[in-house]
Amino acid sequence: MKVKVVTKILEANDRLALENRKLFDKARVFVINLMSGPGAGKTSLLEKTLSSKTGLNIGVIEGDIAGSDDAERIERLGFPVVQINTGGACHLDANMINEVLDDLPLEGLDIVFIENVGNLVCPAEFKVGENIKVMILSIAEGHDKPLKYPLMFQESSALILNKMDLVPYTDVNIAKIRKDSLSLNPELKIFEVSCRTGQGIPEWLHWLKERAQKT
Amino acid sequence: MHEASIAGSLLEIVSEQCRKSGYRRIDSINVKIGRASGIMSDALIFAFDAIKSGSVAKDAVLNIESVPVGGHCRDCNTVFTVEEEYVLNCPRCGGVSFSVTSGRELDVVDMEVSDEG
Repeated sequence: MKVKVVTKILEANDRLALENRKLFDKARVFVINLMSGPGAGKTSLLEKTLSSKTGLNIGVIEGDIAGSDDAERIERLGFPVVQINTGGACHLDANMINEVLDDLPLEGLDIVFIENVGNLVCPAEFKVGENIKVMILSIAEGHDKPLKYPLMFQESSALILNKMDLVPYTDVNIAKIRKDSLSLNPELKIFEVSCRTGQGIPEWLHWLKERAQKT
Repeated sequence: MHEASIAGSLLEIVSEQCRKSGYRRIDSINVKIGRASGIMSDALIFAFDAIKSGSVAKDAVLNIESVPVGGHCRDCNTVFTVEEEYVLNCPRCGGVSFSVTSGRELDVVDMEVSDEG
């Protein structure tokens, strides 16, 4: 006999994400799901952000397939950090976040960054309980990326174009990245940044503070 | 790329429904997968077949309906579908004032079950 099921396959994850979100809201903490391909500069952007004396209390959840290098980089700056090893999984999901929430002093924090696994595809699919998604594209990855990996560009509130100091050494077309990204997502806020030189970091911090305060 | 975890969630959903309703065997499952969902049908079937043994769905065939990306243009009031995984312009009038209405589906629709094991 035929029976209706009519369920979203990701429903269990979405439900857990909502639970996480309630815990974050209760602690009045603004949560950012930070995504990019491997090596685009997620941890570098966090280091720049944390060492900029923003006056904000920031915590970090580090997601990696293996290892704790990123968490150690954050810990050296004196900020609370938890490392998740996904053991092969290509993205963080709501359950993984739920399991480490007790390890962060949420009540004393203004912002939590969840640094997702380096991957331009899967992390955009899974809600983890964040307020917003922010993505990084390093310009050396090429200007074809928005149309090749549209979902992350569509889901993100801000796009950080990192490694802008390398522009003179590449053939990258920044105008095309901007145009295609905005076609996919007209609301997208774009920052041209170099974590190496500090270019664009003040603008990013200004926006970050504003978004965190508004919520 | 994460078809294995999607297959796991799918198996959990249908197994749970069988537990609740007392069905002993699933013969087939129909799901809808949007073309912009990032999930490849072949990989999903492969993953599902790999994990279904020993479960209530051990003999179940997974039927996948692929849903193209589609939208509605507010400028020319057209309902359209596209070949790509994204929409940049309305294919009819070229306008950018459209909403995407399909293509992100990851839904279980129904299944064929029986009471005998």
